[in-house]
Amino acid sequence: MVLELRNAKKTFGEGNTLVEAMKETNFLVERGELVAVIGPSGSGKSTFLTVAGALQTPSEGEVIINGKELSQLNEKQRSKIRLQEIGFILQASNLVPFLTVDQQLELLNKVKKDNMTKDEQRKLYEDLGITKLRKNYPSDLSGGERQRVAIAKALFSKPAILLADEPTASLDSDRAFEVMELLRNETKSNQTATIVVTHDIRLIQYVDKVYKMTDGVLKLESSAEMALDSTE
Amino acid sequence: MFLAWSEIKKNKLRFLLITSILLLVSFLVFFLSGLANGLASMNREAIDSWKVDAVLLTEESDKSLYESALDRKIADELDAKETAVISQMGAIANNGDTKQNVMLFGIDREEFIKPEVSEGDPTFYVQNGVVASDVLKDEGFKIGDTLELSSTDTKLTIVGFTEKARFNASPILYMKLNDMQKIKYGDAYTMNKDLVNAIVIRDKDWATLSLPDNTEIIETETFIESLPGYTEQNLTLTYMIYFLFVISAAIVAIFLYVLTVQKISMFGLMKAQGISSAYLARSVIAQTFILALIGVVLAFGLTLLAGSFLPNGVPIMFDIPTMIIYGVVLIVVAILGAVISVWTIIRIDPLEAIGG
Ligand SMILES: Nc1ncnc2c1ncn2[C@@H]1O[C@H](COP(=O)(O)OP(=O)(O)OP(=O)(O)O)[C@@H](O)[C@H]1O
Ligand SMILES: [Mg+2]
Repeated sequence: MVLELRNAKKTFGEGNTLVEAMKETNFLVERGELVAVIGPSGSGKSTFLTVAGALQTPSEGEVIINGKELSQLNEKQRSKIRLQEIGFILQASNLVPFLTVDQQLELLNKVKKDNMTKDEQRKLYEDLGITKLRKNYPSDLSGGERQRVAIAKALFSKPAILLADEPTASLDSDRAFEVMELLRNETKSNQTATIVVTHDIRLIQYVDKVYKMTDGVLKLESSAEMALDSTE
Repeated sequence: MFLAWSEIKKNKLRFLLITSILLLVSFLVFFLSGLANGLASMNREAIDSWKVDAVLLTEESDKSLYESALDRKIADELDAKETAVISQMGAIANNGDTKQNVMLFGIDREEFIKPEVSEGDPTFYVQNGVVASDVLKDEGFKIGDTLELSSTDTKLTIVGFTEKARFNASPILYMKLNDMQKIKYGDAYTMNKDLVNAIVIRDKDWATLSLPDNTEIIETETFIESLPGYTEQNLTLTYMIYFLFVISAAIVAIFLYVLTVQKISMFGLMKAQGISSAYLARSVIAQTFILALIGVVLAFGLTLLAGSFLPNGVPIMFDIPTMIIYGVVLIVVAILGAVISVWTIIRIDPLEAIGG
């Protein structure tokens, strides 16, 4: 077990303006497991993902990553956990504008050890179809290409946990399927715990489990419901 | 360094702008320091060349050589290691072609103050012979020139030139004390022939000397600072330089801050990834250092280059150690200007950068 939320809850504001973005949540993801979180806009998916990814602290409850209780850590230590254990693929493209594709990954080599080898990196580029783009700056990439580079960047550091917020939002369906396929392969071969937030119901065929977020409540979908959803 | 360099290489124009502003400010600082140094040495180079520890003047002269008059026999009564007397007089010298404001210094040829000549006769053998400051050469004065003085009929002859002989911005003509006293006092010569302006002293223990009544002994540096206009001029230029330090800090601070604000979401994303604030802050500081270093070094070279094209009359003298110190200060000050940006980076919340 690599990531666990125990009675974790996230609220914003107070009194009349109180928003329960994420109601009391218990959640567990194992190594080698790929889970999807679906749900309508504003239901709390990103909140869930950022709490799980040590980007914000829960108002109540505990987040445990690799056995470490995050509430016991300060921001500096949480930042280190993010660097060492977590790969983020975000809704907005998370590329540095003045670095080439290669340099985006090289930056990680500057701040962290145990990233992919040159060979693994080459293979990753192949899988994502970005080999030809390695000398390009983000401004010279299409939205989908940027998204694929962001994925390469997240996988490059060989994280124990991979958190993706709408990773396929700006991709056409063929590419989207390929990316899900890739995420699945990475999850299995590197024994990563991967959480993908998505709107695209067609993608859930690639995942092991589906959670549905409704008004801040996270609920595991049964296989039957999954089947029903996917035929809608 | 990796981030810092990559960004500079990608956004050359942006960083060229800030470097060139730093370059111009540094250039101005170096030039002003050269001017301050040059003007200072116009005032003090003769005194510095004497290598004296203190100057004896009359009390009521208020530290002014011009106002002081004392008996040269006082020198014999002083228990100082080495002394030399100076009798001074301002004049306008005319060699037939050129008129020039000069300072006549009557000295005893047996005493240490006697100038070393770079050219000509060191003995002042000729009556009314003078050893002149070599800056007069640039004005067209030559060895053998006969000089008419504004205040007397006596004519002087240039027998030699010496370096570093300006006092309070005027070139010095060194001459024998006796010849000088005749010019200075005219008919009253016999009565006043022992009256000199000052006695300069080489003795580290000058402060313990017992002094005759109505005299005052002051350290050489104090004496120089009391020269008319010297301190005011120096302070003005020094304040201008300090002000330029503040300006360059402000320019760097504003420029970097604008750049940093533009990159807030990018920094936020990197922080979300777990890249530490310290790494990002170091990168901004490294960037500032690189830019400031390039600007200052270029300005340094440019200053020396421009200096070599200046006409002789311009009182600019570059003092390399001072310039190096100012250069270092400029770089340090630029880095201080980056502090606001560093502070901004530290405060960025990675969550905000990620948004929805
Ligand atoms: N910092 C915040 N302050 C106040 N309210 C917030 C904050 N962050 C999120 N919320 C609220 O919490 C709720 C859940 O937001 P969240 O971003 O998690 O939704 P989401 O499921 O990711 O939506 P989307 O699919 O549009 O990305 C929303 O009502 C949002 O307005
Ligand atoms: Mg969201």
